[in-house]
Amino acid sequence: MIPAQFEYVRPSSLDEAVRALADGGDDAKVIAGGQSLLPLLRLRLAYPDLLVDVGGLDELCGVTDQGDSLLIGARTTHYHIVHDPMIAEHCGLLAQAAGTVADPAVRHRGTLGGSLAHADPAGDLPAVVLVLEATLVATGPNGRREIPAGEFFADYLTTTLSPGEILTGIRVPKLGKDWGYRYEKFHRTAQAWAIVGVAALARRSNGQVAEARVGLTNMGPVPVRAAAVEAAAAGADASAAALTAAAAAAADGTNPPADLHGQPDYRSHLARVLTGRALAAAAGV
Amino acid sequence: MELEHSFTVPVPKERAWDVLLDVERVAPCMPGATLDAVTGDEITGKIKVKVGPITMTYAGTARFTERDKEAGVVTLEASGKETRGAGTASASVRSQLTDEGDSTHVTVRTNLNVTGKPAQFGRGVMTEVSGKLIGIFADNLASMIAAEPAAADSGGTAATADPADSGGTAAAADPADAEDDQDSGVPADTVASPDEALPIDVLNLPTRAWSSLRQDGVQTLGDLVRRTPDQLLAIDNIGPASLAEISKRLEDRGLALSESAGAAAGSAVPSARPAGDDVTTPSAPSYRDAAERAAQNGGAPADAGAAPREPVRWQPQDEAIDLLGIAGLPVLKRAVPAAAGLLGLILVIFGLRRRRARRR
Repeated sequence: MIPAQFEYVRPSSLDEAVRALADGGDDAKVIAGGQSLLPLLRLRLAYPDLLVDVGGLDELCGVTDQGDSLLIGARTTHYHIVHDPMIAEHCGLLAQAAGTVADPAVRHRGTLGGSLAHADPAGDLPAVVLVLEATLVATGPNGRREIPAGEFFADYLTTTLSPGEILTGIRVPKLGKDWGYRYEKFHRTAQAWAIVGVAALARRSNGQVAEARVGLTNMGPVPVRAAAVEAAAAGADASAAALTAAAAAAADGTNPPADLHGQPDYRSHLARVLTGRALAAAAGV
Repeated sequence: MELEHSFTVPVPKERAWDVLLDVERVAPCMPGATLDAVTGDEITGKIKVKVGPITMTYAGTARFTERDKEAGVVTLEASGKETRGAGTASASVRSQLTDEGDSTHVTVRTNLNVTGKPAQFGRGVMTEVSGKLIGIFADNLASMIAAEPAAADSGGTAATADPADSGGTAAAADPADAEDDQDSGVPADTVASPDEALPIDVLNLPTRAWSSLRQDGVQTLGDLVRRTPDQLLAIDNIGPASLAEISKRLEDRGLALSESAGAAAGSAVPSARPAGDDVTTPSAPSYRDAAERAAQNGGAPADAGAAPREPVRWQPQDEAIDLLGIAGLPVLKRAVPAAAGLLGLILVIFGLRRRRARRR
């Protein structure tokens, strides 16, 4: 299918891009890797008047060390994230989850910022930046703004970015060596969307889980933290039985969608099972 | 899929009932909805749904299939087709009003079926979207019913309510007010336009302008007309283009932005234009304009028993459509082969006849 007509600009600086987006009329849209937006355009589910291509903004690419955190440019591709040594060292969960995103072709084109700004509830990375307690950096007509990941995802395909803002980077706090991680994703085919995904982080000390963080993908219109599981897992023995018991509360308070891939009760079941597995793997059981 | 929403409005059941049956006022509460025509019980219109980057437009009809005033139940059946695709959507919306003395509890139960791309693509996109849409609709409906100024409302509801029902509502109206309206032909200038209480959603502004206004605390048309153009330009994401758009949409409703920062609410409301002009405008007004004017005049059609008010209401579209006029060349093109075939046949017959004639 051929997309409906739209204007296209490819600015060479961030300022220019912000201006283009602000002047771009009512249906201006940022395009980065295009791996989510292009299918929508081609299915004619989206009809933007203007596409602002940030593909020319090399300042948005790559990873920089900022002391106790890493700043990952919004245009950094999944492929880059999977292979970046700094990310592997300080927030390996991101690399592991990025490695499960769709297929290699998509990972080479798709970007971290694009996938977060698209805010698909079945996307893998939103839940991951949520448990990493990352901060999202956006630039708009009024300058720079930092948004905690917990306040970024507003609703189904909707973020708290205001219409003229461009997501420029993601600041991820470095995790210590004592943190284990695991992204568990359940999907029917290798490149499919997650039916349910679970991102888990666990810090182990003295044979116990001292602290755990669990984020759920596709268990509601936005990624959620499983607070009940985190509370139950903190202080639990680092054993499969104890962590499975903690994971029993994984679906509490969630609102999983119903579609061709599964009904809410099935997803709730998946969330419990996958959370148990992810926690166990993160705690090194 | 089934969705249920409920809300309570601080008006008696009688009034809530009349508002709920007034399509022209209920329709703008649905985000992205536009009415094309209302014929008896049948409503033709479009609805534009936007979620993140996805836009879907459905065009179709809706009709009241149940109106039980005693029980307080209205059922609206709607079905539509995507304007840019092959998908369909149908919905059955059943509203139940429960009398709670001075207030009314409204339960809206919706049964929705969607087919086509959005249904396949979305991994549940339609559940999310429609749930939210109907949520917003219920909110808007609640605030609209609650915001109705009593006087304007009684006129307005009587206007569009079933003739059989209007007796009841007219009785509830303040007779003095109704009389005033009738004499002057326009709502009294001192009464702020009833439109001012409406949410800015009714302007159908582009999303960007809408959300910027909302972020700046502009909730109703009243809030909007109290601002000057310069104040609006100071809001993020509102540029000259958005300002022009806003002014134009306000103008369509007979409203305008404030002239100066000092101007208070009262002066911001332009004097209502004479309703008579509207009536006699020779160019048949489009339905939308007429409906908006009717709403703006606080139900002018009703308060004028004797005056020739009929024209103020929209002109229902002619049932028969001019196919060539609408489809034009494509239809002609299709007709060409048929015409050519016919011509060929005539020539052959003509030729055969001449031959026979010669043989003789």
